[in-house]
Amino acid sequence: MAALLALTVWAVEAQGYKPGDVATDFKLKNVDGKTVSLADYKSAKGFIVIFTCNTCPYAVAYEDRIIALDKKYAPLGYPVIAINPNDPGASTADTYALMQKKAKDKQFTFPYLVDEGQKIYPQYGATKTPHVYVLQKDKKNLVVRYIGAIDNNYKDANDVDEKYVEAAVDALLGGKTIAMATTAAIGCSIKVKK
Amino acid sequence: MSRISIALLLLIAPLVVAQTEWKREIIKFDQFEKLVDQQDDVLYVINFWATWCGPCVKELPDFMAVNEAMKDRKDFKMILVSLDEKSNWQSEVIPFAANNNLNVDIYLLDELRRMNYWIPRVDKKWMGSIPATVFYKNGKKLRFVEKQLHKDALETIIKEVSAL
Repeated sequence: MAALLALTVWAVEAQGYKPGDVATDFKLKNVDGKTVSLADYKSAKGFIVIFTCNTCPYAVAYEDRIIALDKKYAPLGYPVIAINPNDPGASTADTYALMQKKAKDKQFTFPYLVDEGQKIYPQYGATKTPHVYVLQKDKKNLVVRYIGAIDNNYKDANDVDEKYVEAAVDALLGGKTIAMATTAAIGCSIKVKK
Repeated sequence: MSRISIALLLLIAPLVVAQTEWKREIIKFDQFEKLVDQQDDVLYVINFWATWCGPCVKELPDFMAVNEAMKDRKDFKMILVSLDEKSNWQSEVIPFAANNNLNVDIYLLDELRRMNYWIPRVDKKWMGSIPATVFYKNGKKLRFVEKQLHKDALETIIKEVSAL
């Protein structure tokens, strides 16, 4: 019975967050060597948490748009927090040194964190890169408000007609309901330690 | 055989080899839906992949081995659905298929801007990571798997869904 219960709990957890769920905070190492926690951002209204990586073609295609999201929404209270969920052993392109290089080369304006031990992405339920979670501060809680893609055209930023993340954050800033709280898009599977 | 006809054969042979009996087509999602909605008692194993996707490329030899073993079965058909960019179809996907002996029908799903439409229609739980493999029979989805499959695991699923 206990085993069955444990199995059920695991199955529920394995599904990750849905909109409305309370998200966990974390303490993860940034590319500058410092540790970052969402609790550090006292004045933030929420966060655009993006699981992304160094070389997935979809993640690379979105780099400039992720920087643009941070530049637009950090001053409005929704900074971008990027987390690399890939195990550097399973994905040699995602070592800490190469993450530092990526952040420097692309002049990331936001933290680019290592999910050391791969403990955070499974709690969120991220399955791929890039995979976005928009969180809203509600008293002491971080409530998941949006899960999914950045927009509807990874290939061509000029040919996008649905900006999912912007629409979600705009709705939160305007006190409105998010029209599309989850979206699906193709991405690279997260590389798990063998 | 005359020297001329031998020379002619040598000339034609590579062309014949380059031809494939397998389908190579760019399709839209409504065509995909028709493809898997066949009332013919055939088990369709549909694998979503891309040439840039490491785990997809890794599992393909296992998929090909299983397909080779099942090739005489009339009630089994494996199909690869590439999610590569349409512009890479001729330059990357087709040569990749030839170089890796992908002896199955291969389609490229040309639905870049409608992912949020078609991905949930393939499976509600699918957030879009690949590889992903779907098993259909008589238009009914029997199983959806969103991870890399090894030969044993693929064979086990085929056995399980065949028994349904």
